[in-house]
Amino acid sequence: MIRKEINKISEVGKALISVEGNPGVALNHVVELLEANTNQSLSFAKAINITEDSTRFQVFNGTQGLSTQTKIRMHELPLSAGFSYNMLGRSFDGVGNVADNGPEIIFEKEVSTRLDTLNPTVRLVPKQPLWTGIPMIDVFNTLVKSQKIPIFASPTEPYNRLLSQIAQGAQADVIIFAGIGLKFDEYQYFKEQLSNSGNIDKTIMFTHLAGDSQIKGLMLPDVALGVAREFADQGKDVLVLLTDMTNWSNILRNVANYQDQIPSLQGYPGSLYSELAKRYEVAADIEGAGSITIIGATTLESLEDPVPDNTGYITEGQFFLEGGKLKLARSLSRLKQQVNGKTREDHRPIMTAMASLLADAEKAYEAAEVGAANDAFSQKLLRYREDFIYNLEEPFGDSIELEDALDKCWNILKKHFEPTETGLSKKLIEDYWNKK
Amino acid sequence: MNDNSKRTGSLISIQDSLVKARFFGEVIMGETAEVFVDGKILQAEVLQIDTDPKNKEAGIVEMQVFEDLTGAQIGDSVEFKGQPLSVLLGPGLLTSIWDGLQNPLYKLSEQGAYLAPGMKAPALDEEQLWEFTPLAKEGDEVSGGDAIGVVPEGRMEHKILVPFSLGKCRVESIVDKKELNITQEVAVVLDAHNNRHTLKLAFRHAVKSPIPFKERAIPSQPISTGVRVIDLLAPVGYGGTVGNPGPFGAGKTVLQHSLCKYALADIIIMAACGERAGEAVEVFKDFAELEDPATGESLMNRMCIFGNTSSMPVAAREASVFIALTVGEYYRYQGYSVILLADSTSRWAQALRERSGRQGDIPGPEAFPMDIPDQIKGMYQRAGADHATGGSLTFIGTVSPAGGNFQEPVTQATMDATGGFWGLSQDRADAKKYPAIDPLVYTNSVYDSFISWKDRNKMLHSLLEANDIDQTISTIGLKKVPVEKYVSYQKGQTIDFCVMQQDAFHEMDACTRPERLKVINDAVQQLISSPIEFSQQGMEDDELKELIKTKFDELRQWWRDWNSNAQGDELINELPAKVEQFIKQEEA
Repeated sequence: MIRKEINKISEVGKALISVEGNPGVALNHVVELLEANTNQSLSFAKAINITEDSTRFQVFNGTQGLSTQTKIRMHELPLSAGFSYNMLGRSFDGVGNVADNGPEIIFEKEVSTRLDTLNPTVRLVPKQPLWTGIPMIDVFNTLVKSQKIPIFASPTEPYNRLLSQIAQGAQADVIIFAGIGLKFDEYQYFKEQLSNSGNIDKTIMFTHLAGDSQIKGLMLPDVALGVAREFADQGKDVLVLLTDMTNWSNILRNVANYQDQIPSLQGYPGSLYSELAKRYEVAADIEGAGSITIIGATTLESLEDPVPDNTGYITEGQFFLEGGKLKLARSLSRLKQQVNGKTREDHRPIMTAMASLLADAEKAYEAAEVGAANDAFSQKLLRYREDFIYNLEEPFGDSIELEDALDKCWNILKKHFEPTETGLSKKLIEDYWNKK
Repeated sequence: MNDNSKRTGSLISIQDSLVKARFFGEVIMGETAEVFVDGKILQAEVLQIDTDPKNKEAGIVEMQVFEDLTGAQIGDSVEFKGQPLSVLLGPGLLTSIWDGLQNPLYKLSEQGAYLAPGMKAPALDEEQLWEFTPLAKEGDEVSGGDAIGVVPEGRMEHKILVPFSLGKCRVESIVDKKELNITQEVAVVLDAHNNRHTLKLAFRHAVKSPIPFKERAIPSQPISTGVRVIDLLAPVGYGGTVGNPGPFGAGKTVLQHSLCKYALADIIIMAACGERAGEAVEVFKDFAELEDPATGESLMNRMCIFGNTSSMPVAAREASVFIALTVGEYYRYQGYSVILLADSTSRWAQALRERSGRQGDIPGPEAFPMDIPDQIKGMYQRAGADHATGGSLTFIGTVSPAGGNFQEPVTQATMDATGGFWGLSQDRADAKKYPAIDPLVYTNSVYDSFISWKDRNKMLHSLLEANDIDQTISTIGLKKVPVEKYVSYQKGQTIDFCVMQQDAFHEMDACTRPERLKVINDAVQQLISSPIEFSQQGMEDDELKELIKTKFDELRQWWRDWNSNAQGDELINELPAKVEQFIKQEEA
């Protein structure tokens, strides 16, 4: 089939090009850019704004090396991603091209990257816990299959290490790794961790390294999630790791800026919320099919930054990593109530009681800084706080089963408090305080 | 309508959800249109009309398209429909679950698991039969809003109304008592210009034209929401408005779900606007199995849900809130008490922001449209009580302030527009106190409470005093606080811990009704106003304070157990007895 070719590029900017007139391309459809003389393929590009007078494209490989002479070949298809079980164990770039030294892949089918909304009526209410062996998650913020939840952390925190640790333990048929704006070391770290734990054969890595073309980074989540969705539609339980969505949002901001969009907060486009939501909402437990769980990483300077702020409203909670510890006060799993009432009877009450005491302890800690925590109870709270931080907020270390973690919680309470000081019911105190 | 009367246009510009089309002839501001893309028909709405600088004969119309435009091309055709965006009103609204444009989601799922552009289905079941009983007869004079008959809808009586768009009419014919579906003729009426109108069980109404009140009244009766801090300190009346802002994680969703389950009203409408799909799913899947406390039937029987969730097309978000409001007004007109929960009005405002940004409007604060406060006020004004019908529409809107900052434009405009204010505080949420409504900072209400204003203020004062003493303790230490102040502090703490806080997931504690609230209030008032003398023979102040703390800890533990005791109502009088004993026992 001979495809129509045109060569009237009128504008070459950062990541975007414009052509005069309307070459007949449709919105979000893909064209190929060719070197004028050799017809060598330079890149693909997606039509994002079409008028009678001009058409604008996002260029996947960036615009370096393009000229007004560059030719455009029409393809008349929306961007899709190749899908095959042979992708397992392999590495790809942001638009689904093979990015390792392995053999070419013959795809079984093309899957849409448009990420149409799943009809809410075919969603199942999530009810299955995903145990991680980390007490701060399993006891206090239980993770649930099909949950979407990011790790919030400053860029210097070991968030990728935590992400990797959660991924190792979580049960999934397929792991889709989606890395945007990664440093090479981080990519290599994930690859090694997944190999060491024997998970690499069920993993597909989509990676965009810092410095790669911005448009490829922008597209990456859609390609990765499109592939993840196909596995889920085929009945697989899929775990998607998205890191780091702040990098992705920054690319979104850059491209919006190149397109002269009116910024809302800190230069981000007004659509930031909807754009993030479109990706995170792919997480679902699908009736009659599999599931997609998304654990992301969102780096931040301040919780009020637009990216973590919007993310918090979209995701089903967040794990807050600070000083290498998973902080109880700012962490939340919104789906925990779906599962933590069906574990051991003391699970919910002890979680609430310890959190409430920790909040009091934080107040006592502040008071102590000005020498105003000299009473006996404040002293108890301070000792409890220390114990809590070092024994429960520590995410790295040996994996602990839920029951053992709960017992550990009782031991910490017993060590520091009288039964009535805990706010726990009489019955629970009778059953657990003097157990063992 | 024949083909000659069709008004059409063709696309000349496409970006995201905004298109421009060239047309000849007439286009009406606000009318709907259909855009033909790649064999699919997409819904659109006219936003602006200009002349065409290139062609004096033609005009250019700007439209927002409610569905994804992937595949759209220059030259794709548009057909203008002449009618503004409207909602279908009639029996079968209750228990329905729609997207933001009133497409029923269960019906759509028969066409595939994913919502692809162009998917449509009739808003109400066209096959279901309803037993119609006429109220009007041949020759009667009727006008818009009059009931010409009734059908039973669940345990409710659904009045069949003359469409509000009609003026004075005469009934030419009306069917006898019989079973009908919503597509069949019920009556024929003749208007003042001798035009015939066929009436059916359902009719369409433009969503931006409010359904009128018969006789608007001030919301005077408080709603029992079951949430103690609300019903005691920041109540909402039937027909009132409440803004419920909170940073993420502060518990807006849990509170909304709680209101769905326990707020006493005939009908609950949920507009899940730009929020997580999972939360709406939990409501219609899990709540369907829960019992309505008032009727013993499934909770879903009194609900309907508009789910324009966060990944659905943004342009339809604005529509979803207006559609939900119109359904609420329709039931209010029939005399029912309706609560509309809109979660979240910030997403609605953001949809307006995205659109105005694309249209190139000069932005106001934080890039929101300049007139956003007026639009928010206009929306809340549609709530209200109707004295003549006895119906009411209560509007509770959540607000999701960027960065949790209540100074941002949408929160500010909402505080200005509503009669009640439930602000969720990050500090209380971090301390896992539910609900995280801060009784001292963020409650406000113009509505009557279940307790007297005087009692309410005493309760607030006690909490405020405890808070002040708490600050003192944090800055100068417990040692320097006088014993008597420490007792006041413990009293306030007890009210906060045992009354203001509640376990939303505990079957007993999750909901407190007015009769129980009154008992709690009596106990609280007694506790606040009675001096308690703790014995201090030879006791140092420090020791005494420890004793006081232990005693109050015991009281609080007892009280919490009482809150969640499964035999609840049988033990209702144990609380005043316990508090009295607490006060007396300690007397010197």
